[in-house]
Amino acid sequence: MNLPRSKGCSLTPAGEKSLSYGRPIVRPARMVDDEAPLKSASAAHQNLRQLVRLIQCPYCSKPFTAPAHLPCGHTICRDCLPSPRPRANISYPNTPDRLLGIVCPQCGAEHAAAECCLDVTLAKSMELIRLQVAEFRASSIEDTPIRLVEILEPDDNSAAGEKDRVHHVGHDRVLYGGRLLATYTLAEMGELRCSSEVEYSSVLDAPDHYPHEYENLDISLLGSIQEAVQDEMSCRVCYNMMLEPTTTACGHTFCRRCLIRVMDHSNICPLCRRDLHMPASLQNKPSNRHLASLLDLLCPDLVTQRLAAIKLEDQPGDDALNTPLFICTLALPSMPTFLHVFEPRYRLMMRRCMGGNRKFGMIMYNRTGAPQGDLGATQFMEYGTLLEIVNLELLRDGRSFVETRGVGRFKVQDHGVLDGYIVASINSVEDISTAEEQDSEQEERTEAQRLAATFESQNPGTPLPFRVALDQLSTQQLLDFCMGFVVEMRRQSAPWLSQKIVQVYGEPPAADAALFPYWFACVLPIAEEEKYRLLQITTVRERLKIVKTWIERIQNQRQ
Amino acid sequence: MALSKRIIKETQRLAEDAVPGISAVPHDDNLRYFDVTIDGPSQSPYEGGVFKAELFLPDDYPMTPPKIRFLTRIYHPNIDRLGRICLDVLKSNWSPALQIRTILLSIQALLGAPNPDDPLANDVAQAWKQDEQAAIATAREWTEKHAKP
Ligand SMILES: [Zn+2]
Ligand SMILES: [Zn+2]
Ligand SMILES: [Zn+2]
Ligand SMILES: [Zn+2]
Repeated sequence: MNLPRSKGCSLTPAGEKSLSYGRPIVRPARMVDDEAPLKSASAAHQNLRQLVRLIQCPYCSKPFTAPAHLPCGHTICRDCLPSPRPRANISYPNTPDRLLGIVCPQCGAEHAAAECCLDVTLAKSMELIRLQVAEFRASSIEDTPIRLVEILEPDDNSAAGEKDRVHHVGHDRVLYGGRLLATYTLAEMGELRCSSEVEYSSVLDAPDHYPHEYENLDISLLGSIQEAVQDEMSCRVCYNMMLEPTTTACGHTFCRRCLIRVMDHSNICPLCRRDLHMPASLQNKPSNRHLASLLDLLCPDLVTQRLAAIKLEDQPGDDALNTPLFICTLALPSMPTFLHVFEPRYRLMMRRCMGGNRKFGMIMYNRTGAPQGDLGATQFMEYGTLLEIVNLELLRDGRSFVETRGVGRFKVQDHGVLDGYIVASINSVEDISTAEEQDSEQEERTEAQRLAATFESQNPGTPLPFRVALDQLSTQQLLDFCMGFVVEMRRQSAPWLSQKIVQVYGEPPAADAALFPYWFACVLPIAEEEKYRLLQITTVRERLKIVKTWIERIQNQRQ
Repeated sequence: MALSKRIIKETQRLAEDAVPGISAVPHDDNLRYFDVTIDGPSQSPYEGGVFKAELFLPDDYPMTPPKIRFLTRIYHPNIDRLGRICLDVLKSNWSPALQIRTILLSIQALLGAPNPDDPLANDVAQAWKQDEQAAIATAREWTEKHAKP
């Protein structure tokens, strides 16, 4: 593989005179590696051969005419595609253009003819490049000859047993206008295979030119190409240089992330309104490699800039409003919540969550419009539950089923809007410490016992006031009472404690007084607004008391 | 919230490469909110009038269309008393490849070609269908009354 090739951008200083005209003797180009690199040289300038290669059809090696982008990721002139043939064993969808197949000459994959469309962006860019080249050629200087020698790819032409690959020389021409124009011209003449390299050397009888004059020619043509295609290669949705360009079956190209967002809202192409016919996740849909390489080469700075901007966009960073809120239903800590996500804004939110810490806030609608503390009468309640995505099943049409688990409670401090959904800064809501919990149990029960004694001495034989009776109970007694109710209800086969429900929410956490109320609230069929109170309570004892009042209400109703 | 590159570019182009008869200027304190004027198209009953409108880019623009409303009163079958506009590209036919400029052009075109069969202002549409000449005269009157500086 060690070919003595020159891929660099140096030109041999001119000045040495030729010996004959017919076939000029040339000196091999100097390797670039041992020369100081040109400071202003862009990636494209350092790799002009690669640029011309991306303008060439990999099949016919001519500059592209009407390039088609195939689902396998290859890009080939439409005229170079074999004619469509009927596909075997295909019946659905059975539109005529899907029943015909086209075989990619590069990789042999068969595609529905309907999916082998003109790559609109590449086609327009190629046309613009052709025009720039023509204009440049018309104005370029005649006396700038360089010799181009095509070096064939070793495997293309390997005679048996031959070791010395240096001799695999293809076409050999003296052309004008700098290396870029000359290389393009060679391709246009059909004398440069797409896979070949080019060796450049100066022509000995060339007029006196300094190397930088040749380089300036390349820089000038490259500059006008870059300028010409820039607009064409920007995304029609975000107006940025395309990032991960992804081409639809109709041949239109957008940033991958823009196309995914478009598909949150509809499944037609933004430009031509044809049906996109692809899964909304774009799973298994490769990006347009050819365009991506061209972009990397022609505008590496813009590509880098864009990547950096995207990083910022995806991570709200230390912006205070960093928790996305899903306004929908009541969710409870440690308990599972199942969501069907179909609204476009929440599709985007779920995608961002999946790419980040997989957490978002679930919060209820404020149905009554009641003021929410400092927030005022917001459309949502001020307390919510932070959920973590356990599993996300993305459907083909972009909707998804999301399984989540509550990881904590929070109170909204401040809120704003991001791309249609609410984002908030939140304070987490935690239970008081165990020590404080014990202190408060002790204090409450001592006081209740004192009150009970006084009450009994003054009203012998009358039941204690509700509050006093409740406060007298130990936290364990509260839990036992509630668990007793669950056991009794299961014995009676209450439908809300069916096996199916227990499978989803688990067996009651009989030994965990902190958790029990959340479990109970999940299975108990009462209004969400009532269960919502649990989110605000920061003592285990208070939560159990709330559950006990629910149970007593049910028991009274049943009597 | 940071303004997207797209909104910045659109705003720049609106300023640098203005469409004749249309202007859209963002508010200094809210760059998503534009003061719009649309000149009535020639050979329409709105000719000579300058119609003010407000345009707002929602947070998920361009995934959802801009919101736009006439502020100047206008007698038109597809524009109601509150200035709301019945135009498909502002609703179900919106595409993120459209832009402020194309939307304003569509609205200007709508002024030139009222469509009483797809009305928003039912009474106006009715009048338009019953006696087009009279309706056009009213539209001209309103233009004279409300849309002249
Ligand atoms: Zn070809
Ligand atoms: Zn292929
Ligand atoms: Zn984009
Ligand atoms: Zn399309």
